[in-house]
Amino acid sequence: MLIKKILLNLSLYIPDVALILFLTEEGVFVPEERSHFVVVLVYFLIKISLHNIVAFFCFIKPYSAVKDILLQFQRGRYSMADSAHVLKPSACFGDLFELLRSTGRYLDNLVGSQNDEIEKFRELYNNVILSANSYFVVLNARDEVIFANKSFSANFRYTDDEILGLRLEDIFYIIPGRFSDAIDNVKKRGQSAVLRKIKLISRRKISLIADIKISRVTVQGEKQYIIVMDDITSQWRKDYQISLISQISESLQRDEEVERILYAILTAVTSGSGLGFNRAMLFLYNEQKKILTGKMAVGPDSMEEAVQIWGSVQNEELNLLGGGPDAPPVLQTNGAFYKQVVTSNFAINGNTLFADVFNKRAPVHIYDAASDPRVDPETRKFMDVSEFVVVPLCSANKALGVVVADNKFNGAPIYEDHVELLSIFAVQASLSIDSYNSLSSVKERMEHIQAKQEAIVESEKMAAVGRIAAHIAHEIRNPLVTVGGYARRILQSVKKPQKTVEDIEKAASIILHESERLEKILSNVMDFSRPSPLIREYNNLNDVVKDTYYLLKNVLQERKITATLDLEQKLPLVKSDFNQLKQVVLNLLQNAMDATPAGGSVILKTGLTETHIYIRIKDSGTGISPEAMDKIFDPFFTSKITGVGLGLAVVKKIVNDHNGEIVISNNPEGGCQFSVELLRPS
Amino acid sequence: MSRILLVEDEKNQRELYAAELRDDGYEVEEASDGKMAVEKVKSNKYDLVVLDIRMPEMDGIEALGKILSRDKKIPIVIHTAYSNYKSNFMTWTADAYVTKSSNLDELKTKIAEILAARGQA
Repeated sequence: MLIKKILLNLSLYIPDVALILFLTEEGVFVPEERSHFVVVLVYFLIKISLHNIVAFFCFIKPYSAVKDILLQFQRGRYSMADSAHVLKPSACFGDLFELLRSTGRYLDNLVGSQNDEIEKFRELYNNVILSANSYFVVLNARDEVIFANKSFSANFRYTDDEILGLRLEDIFYIIPGRFSDAIDNVKKRGQSAVLRKIKLISRRKISLIADIKISRVTVQGEKQYIIVMDDITSQWRKDYQISLISQISESLQRDEEVERILYAILTAVTSGSGLGFNRAMLFLYNEQKKILTGKMAVGPDSMEEAVQIWGSVQNEELNLLGGGPDAPPVLQTNGAFYKQVVTSNFAINGNTLFADVFNKRAPVHIYDAASDPRVDPETRKFMDVSEFVVVPLCSANKALGVVVADNKFNGAPIYEDHVELLSIFAVQASLSIDSYNSLSSVKERMEHIQAKQEAIVESEKMAAVGRIAAHIAHEIRNPLVTVGGYARRILQSVKKPQKTVEDIEKAASIILHESERLEKILSNVMDFSRPSPLIREYNNLNDVVKDTYYLLKNVLQERKITATLDLEQKLPLVKSDFNQLKQVVLNLLQNAMDATPAGGSVILKTGLTETHIYIRIKDSGTGISPEAMDKIFDPFFTSKITGVGLGLAVVKKIVNDHNGEIVISNNPEGGCQFSVELLRPS
Repeated sequence: MSRILLVEDEKNQRELYAAELRDDGYEVEEASDGKMAVEKVKSNKYDLVVLDIRMPEMDGIEALGKILSRDKKIPIVIHTAYSNYKSNFMTWTADAYVTKSSNLDELKTKIAEILAARGQA
């Protein structure tokens, strides 16, 4: 009964137990009865099955709905307005769904706000990139473009889709060695690289000069390369322009030919680092023929050549005027384009565009040659391009010619700033031409003056010859008169027998004497004009002095002049010509004697200084007046009545031939001193 | 007999001219430079002076001035190898300018003319 009591108590809580009690007779469960047990078992089985069936039908929908929501969550969709209708708030899962929905909304908000943040950041980031004027391109490990920013694709004329999957070689004509090496390096070592002033030209004909940064990043295990290019073309051009102008002014100082300056300017106009025009040509005004004549042209004949030239100046600071290894390619004078230009002429009074620009001195920018009324048929045919610029070359009110430039090969548009720069170059070129011209006219005048000067010198020489001739004539006249006069006397004495033999003898001896004088005068003149002999021997100057002294010893005695020899015994031998030096001492000693009155003295001295060996001849004569001092060595200057005026001139010539000097001074006690100073042998 | 002062520094020439003039019958006195000539003019009376120009001590130009300042009327014949002294105005005061030559005819003619003119006056 105890069991029954327990079961009854239990049945208050568990309906199934109550049911079991209900099913048994008298409400008592009798385990001994097998049939009861089976009934209870079957009841339970049925009940479980019913439970499952009920549960299946009750839970299948909410289950799939929750699963669906979670799957949506997983996909990042947190909003579930669509799935809400399957659930009734009254249903037993209602609360749960409500919770899921609110969680979803929360997540939605959270993610949404994060997306906004990202979007804002992206916008900011793009703005920064755009304003930095940089081109971004990301390559994968196979060198294919997986991302390029808008400026990159826009600048190189690709659509965003087009550019994906391309390699750099597909985008650029030439990848400079410096650039490709740097990429390889970054790939191998992973270190970032920065490159300056890389010159690039794209296959879609865009050229630029860029500073380039390359860095490696790893995204989800894959290596990628970010290349950032900063377009410095315009900056570079400005720098380049300034350096070009300074080079041009330097070249002016260096007196370069005008052709070289012009070529440099045209090269600057066409080089990618300059103005980047494809072609440039120069027409200069020919004043006589009144035409603009093609002088020079720089530019390739074809796109292929253009690319080749572009590549050849890669990585080089273009030095236009210097002749160094980085000098630009020499002026090609065999190209078809060059030939076309230099064989073309445009009359300045003709109706051509170039003549018009030349006459009006204002640049013209033609956008469409085919339709522009300013373009005449001749120019249209000559240019064979739709857009081009013509800029006048003029300096200080004088028109010199025109410069024409175009982008024939890449068809790139010509921007206003390029036209302006071209005008600046044209001004610079004009100044160069102008100053070159004035320089050459100055030169011409200089040459003219020089020629005149030479003529003056020549006539001066002639005058000198005349003076010399006159002097010699005078010198010769006196003896000749005497000779002639006595000869006449001899003749007369033959006719007149009263003349004595003594008379004739005297006349003859005078004739003889005067003839000797004439010979002496002539030999003096000859000595002076004779070229100097080679000096080979070594002589002792003491011997020179002694020999000369003995020659004149008698004369000195006769004139009652005391001569003293003061000779330095340890004189080194001097390379000299003995006879010429003797002539020097002889002339000086004679002068000393002539200047010294009877009772006076002459001192002949030799000696040494640190650098020189000297011979000094000192007299107690009249000295030399200051006026005479200047002219004393001039040929035919003389203070003597019967002098030719060649003695000191000869002395000077001989001393000069010996690389020596002659120093004159008046002595304080009267008289003067001549010092012949020859270099001491080392 | 006319008295002539011959001023000439070159001894050979002076002797030649003196001999020639004496042969022609003049009385000739000699001076070897301008200074001596001026002295002689001061102390003697001459009918004519033959004056060389390039001489030591005192040249003919200076002597000419001094002689003339002493005696304005004395006839002077300049006798020189240099024709360029003709442009020196001092020589214009002389009565004749004879360029030296081995042929003394011109000198002799001039002397004769001047003396003849004086003789008539």
